[in-house]
Amino acid sequence: MMKSSFFASASVLCLGLVLAFGAGSQANAAAKCIKGDRKAPYTIGWANIYSVPTWMKQTQGTIEAEVETLKKQGLVDKLVVTDAQGDANVQIQQIQSMIDSNVDAIILIAGSSTAPARVIADACAKGIAIINFDSLVDTDQVTAKVNTDSSQWGDQAAKFLINAIGGKGKILILNGPAGVSVSDDRRKGADAELKAHPDVKILAETNTPYNVAPAQEAVTSLLFANPEIDGILSLGGALSAGAVLALDKQGRDQVPITGENARQFLELWKEKSLKSWATMQPNWLGAFATYTAVQALEGKDVPAFVKIPLPVIDNSNIDEYLARAKDFPADGYIYSPYDEALFKKLLAQK
Amino acid sequence: MSIIPSAKSTGALYWPVQARRNIGVRSLFLVVLAFLVAYGVLFPGLFTASGFAKFTQSWFPLALVAMAQAILMLTGGISLAIGATVSLGAVIAATTMAGPLGVAGGTAAVALAGLGIGAATGFIVVKLRLPAIVVTLAGSFIIGGAALLILPRPGGSIPAWLSDLLAGDTPAAFVLLVVIVLLWKLYLATPLGLSLYAAGENPVGAYRSGVPVDAARVAAYAISGLLSTGAGLFVAAQTGSGDPVIGTAFTLNSIAAAVLGGIGFLGGQGTMRGALAGSLLLSLMISVMFFLGFTPVAQYVAQGLIIIGAVAIPQFRKVQP
Repeated sequence: MMKSSFFASASVLCLGLVLAFGAGSQANAAAKCIKGDRKAPYTIGWANIYSVPTWMKQTQGTIEAEVETLKKQGLVDKLVVTDAQGDANVQIQQIQSMIDSNVDAIILIAGSSTAPARVIADACAKGIAIINFDSLVDTDQVTAKVNTDSSQWGDQAAKFLINAIGGKGKILILNGPAGVSVSDDRRKGADAELKAHPDVKILAETNTPYNVAPAQEAVTSLLFANPEIDGILSLGGALSAGAVLALDKQGRDQVPITGENARQFLELWKEKSLKSWATMQPNWLGAFATYTAVQALEGKDVPAFVKIPLPVIDNSNIDEYLARAKDFPADGYIYSPYDEALFKKLLAQK
Repeated sequence: MSIIPSAKSTGALYWPVQARRNIGVRSLFLVVLAFLVAYGVLFPGLFTASGFAKFTQSWFPLALVAMAQAILMLTGGISLAIGATVSLGAVIAATTMAGPLGVAGGTAAVALAGLGIGAATGFIVVKLRLPAIVVTLAGSFIIGGAALLILPRPGGSIPAWLSDLLAGDTPAAFVLLVVIVLLWKLYLATPLGLSLYAAGENPVGAYRSGVPVDAARVAAYAISGLLSTGAGLFVAAQTGSGDPVIGTAFTLNSIAAAVLGGIGFLGGQGTMRGALAGSLLLSLMISVMFFLGFTPVAQYVAQGLIIIGAVAIPQFRKVQP
C-alpha cells in the first residue's frame, strides 16, 4: 500500500517533469537536429537505397522537381544523390560520406529499419537535417519521419475486400517480401478485420517481391490448387496486376481484389471492369521530404512524425486517375496530385 | 652443396617468395593505392582518428567475408551461404547480447554457430562429395530462414558500449583486422594450414603425399563460417541492432573481392592479401565515387569498368613476353 502510493506520487512527479520539459522544448521552436548554424542555399543529400525500381525513379523525379523549385527561391544549390544498390551496409557508408562532405540535409529511404540508426544519430549530432520517409528507421534522432500508415493500409484493404465478398468466402493473400517492415506491417494491419470475420477463409498466402512476374507465377500455381476463390487481398499494386493476369490467363472469372495505384493495375481494373479498391504510397513523399528538410533548416518547427493520409482510389474516382495516365511511365504509379499548399497543410497538422 | 637450407637462408628466402606471390596482385595494389590517395585528397578528414575509424569500419565486414570466401576458394570450394551466415551472426548477436547471456555469451554463441554451420557444410561437401555450389546454395536458404525465425523483422539490440568500442571513433576495427590477419599467418604455419593450398591445387597428389586433404577442407569451411558470423556480429555492433537480411549482398561481394584479389576458382591459386586488397578496393570505390560526384548511373558503369580493369591489367602483362 505504502509502496503503491509512493509509486503514484513518484509517477505524478515524473509526469510533471515530462510536461515541463515538453513545454520547454515547445518554446524552443527549432526542429530536432537543427542547430541554426547552416545558411541557405543548402546542399541536400538524397540517400536512396535502390534506384532501379520504377517507384524509386518516380520518387526521385519528384525530389528533383522540388529541388528545382527551391533552387529558384535561392534555398537550395545542390542535390547529391547516392544509390546503395539495395545494400543497407553500402547505404550506411554513403550516409557517412554525406556527413564527411558536410551536406546540410539528408533525406533517406532506409534499407533496413535498424541498420542506419547509429550513422543517422551521428549526422543529427552534427546539425544535419534528416528527413526519413517511406521505409523508416527505429530511431528518434531524426528531424522528421514522413510516411503513410502501413497498418491502416492493410486494415482498409481487408475491410473493403471482406465487404466486397459479403463477409464470407475463400481468399488469397498476396504479400511483399518476408522480413520487410512495410510488407509485414500491411499484413499485420489486416489481421484484426480477418479475425473478426471467421467465415473468411484464407486459402493461402504468398511472399513475393513487389513485381508482376513473380506474383503472377505464385498466383498461377495457387489457382491450380484452389478451384474456388472468392477474393484476393493483395497488399501491393504489382502483386494485384500479377494476380489479375494469372486469373485471365487461366480463363477464370475475376474476383474482387485490392491493390495499389500501379498504372498497369489501374488499366487492368478498367479493362476487366473489376470491383476493386486501391491506395498508394505517394511518390511525392520524396518532394515533401525535401520541402520539410528546407523548412526545418530555415528554423521552422516541424512535427517529429508527419502521417500522410492514404489517398483512396475506388470505382468512383478511378477515371480521374486514368485520365492522367499518359503522364506516367507504363510500369509506373499514378500518384495523387500535390502542391505546396498541400505540403503546408501536412506540416501544420499535429 | 647442401640443399638443406639453414635457418638464415630460409629467412632470406622468405621475402623473395612473398615477392613472387605478389606478382599477380601488384597491379591491384597499385590501383588500391591510387584510390586511397584519391580518397585522401578528396576527403582530408580521412587522416583524423575518427575519419580513419569510420572508413575502416565500413571496410571491415567486407574484409572478413572476403577472407571467408578466399579460404574456401583456395581449397577449391566456394560458398553461396556467406551472406545468410552474416545475417545469422548479426541476429544471434542482437538477440543474445542484451539478454542473460551477455556480451561474452553472445559472442560465444555467434562463434559456435559460425564454426558449427561451417563444419557441417564442410562435412557435407567433403565427405559426401557433393558440389559445394549446390550445398551452400541450399544452405543459404536454411541459414537465411533460421535468421528470419530468430528475428522475423529487424530489431534486437547490442549494448551501446560494445557498439562504441567496435564502431565508435577509435580504429578498433582496424586493430582487429590486423590481429585476424596475423592469426591467418599463424594458421598457415600449422599442419592444417600448410595443407590448405595443397588440398586446393592438387588434392589427389596431396592425398597421396599424406596431406590430410579432407580435414584441411572441412577446417576451411569451419573457419569460413566463423569469419562470416564474426562479420555479422560486427555489422550488428556497427548498426546497434540485428536485421535478418542485412548480409544478403555479402555473398556476391565476397566472391567479387576474392576474384578481384587474384584468387582462382579452381583452388590453390591466390593469396589472402589479394582478397583483402580486393575487398578494400570495393569499399573504397563507393566513397571515392561519392566524393567525385558521380551520379548513381555513372557509378554502376564506373564500378564495372574498375573491376574489369583491375582484373585485366595483370593479364595484359602475361600476354606480353
